Amino acid sequence: MSDVIVIENLTKYYGKFLALDNLSLKVPEKENIGLLGPNGAGKSTTLKILCGLLKPTSGKAFIEGIDVITQPEKALSRIGAIIETPEFYSYLTPEDTLNYFGRLRGMKGEKLKKRIKEVIELVHLEKWSKEKIGKFSRGMKQRLGLAQTLLHDPSVLILDEPSLGLDPRGVVEFREIIIGAGKEKTVFFASHQLVEVAQICRKVAIINTGKLLAFDEITELEKKYQTLEQAYLKVTGGV
Amino acid sequence: MSEFDKLGVVIRYEFLKHIRRARLYIILGIALVAEALVLILIPALTDGYPESVKVMAGLLTVGASLAALGAVFFAGDAIAGEYEGKTGFLLFTNPVKRETLWVGKYLAGFIAVALLMIFTYFIQAIALLIIYQQVPVEIFQSFGIAMFYAAATLSTTFLFSAISKGSMGATIMTLVFVWVICGILESVLAFTGNPYWFVLSAGGDAIATAYGSLEQFLAGLGGLGSLGGADQMATMFKMPTLGMVSWGMAIYFVGGFVASIFLAKRRQLA
Repeated sequence: MSDVIVIENLTKYYGKFLALDNLSLKVPEKENIGLLGPNGAGKSTTLKILCGLLKPTSGKAFIEGIDVITQPEKALSRIGAIIETPEFYSYLTPEDTLNYFGRLRGMKGEKLKKRIKEVIELVHLEKWSKEKIGKFSRGMKQRLGLAQTLLHDPSVLILDEPSLGLDPRGVVEFREIIIGAGKEKTVFFASHQLVEVAQICRKVAIINTGKLLAFDEITELEKKYQTLEQAYLKVTGGV
Repeated sequence: MSEFDKLGVVIRYEFLKHIRRARLYIILGIALVAEALVLILIPALTDGYPESVKVMAGLLTVGASLAALGAVFFAGDAIAGEYEGKTGFLLFTNPVKRETLWVGKYLAGFIAVALLMIFTYFIQAIALLIIYQQVPVEIFQSFGIAMFYAAATLSTTFLFSAISKGSMGATIMTLVFVWVICGILESVLAFTGNPYWFVLSAGGDAIATAYGSLEQFLAGLGGLGSLGGADQMATMFKMPTLGMVSWGMAIYFVGGFVASIFLAKRRQLA
């Protein structure tokens, strides 16, 4: 099985602050990997570099063998991403927004129309598909964010706290959608919700202060530390 | 899919945003009110409309000048807004070059301003036809200068949007630059008899002076023209030619746009 996401010695400074310190990680194809770590550990920075939003100070990152830093557009064509709480243009409707982003990815005509209908139904926004997004709650925007992530049926999903702002029913539905998608796709998924990560992922990477501290199967971590929570606490804080 | 195709998509949806926003209609309303005020106040305060159709046409360009400044409100959030509102987290994860996004946003903003401009000139032409039964051919020259002024103002706003953290900051900085700084600079240079073709606001003045010189305007306004020193003041000004003003606006148009693309491309979304 080939590695779909490859991170090699990634280092990122924000001014003098070291956010990523020679981070290296490989995510195999069709594997669901959880990225865990406390606030400021470097999770979002890692995902933002993979999505071409940030440039690393040094190091390399590849998506399906494509260099994210030198060929960002080509690499981005392979991924669907939610980074932070997604914000949309408040004057557009979900249909407008999905049409916009779908067309930017080369989708058009009946195929695009059909796919928009499918993803809107998947995230249960049918009643709101023609309403301006300015009226939407945070949870509804999160649902729309997931719809745009899945719109072009990418082979790689990069998700940063994707269930943030969702109500309990939304969290469950969201998890089921990601688990379903994860059977066919590679999912790289940052979250603070250990229970959620354990339900979606087989393996986790734990990082802190920009360094990789552990990268193993959840069952192995549970054998070693009794629970995933204990593993997280001991690895990140020495508790 | 080529970047050119993507550019078309960006223009289409960025323009849709302009159409859906109230600011387009507010600017149009202000421009029309300005033209209406000219049409009402001139005969109310003087002995009817000026004899020369060109003088009246020049006075009516106030609507077009305001419409051109609408560029500031369309472009203020074009770059800064993606970072401030965090919409960039979605837009920038699409496989499209940043340059394509900025060019598309620029062109969408320009189309919106052009529509406003066409409408204000249409009203101007109708008003002149009703009052004078004729429209001076210089209206095309004035329209061309107004479009160029709008393009230069749009580029300048893009530059402020590229360096500003927020949309409001970019909009205010551009308005202060165009109205206050350029206005003061132009006045100082004009009153001291120095050339001022390179000041952006000179482009705004040229929208009206496309119909005639300052002396012609002052003379055409009768009472105002006979005020002490007004004629002397007009001859003292080194009024730039339309050609020189166009060169000045070209500097802002090209310089502002290229600099904004360069700066925006270096900007990261942390």
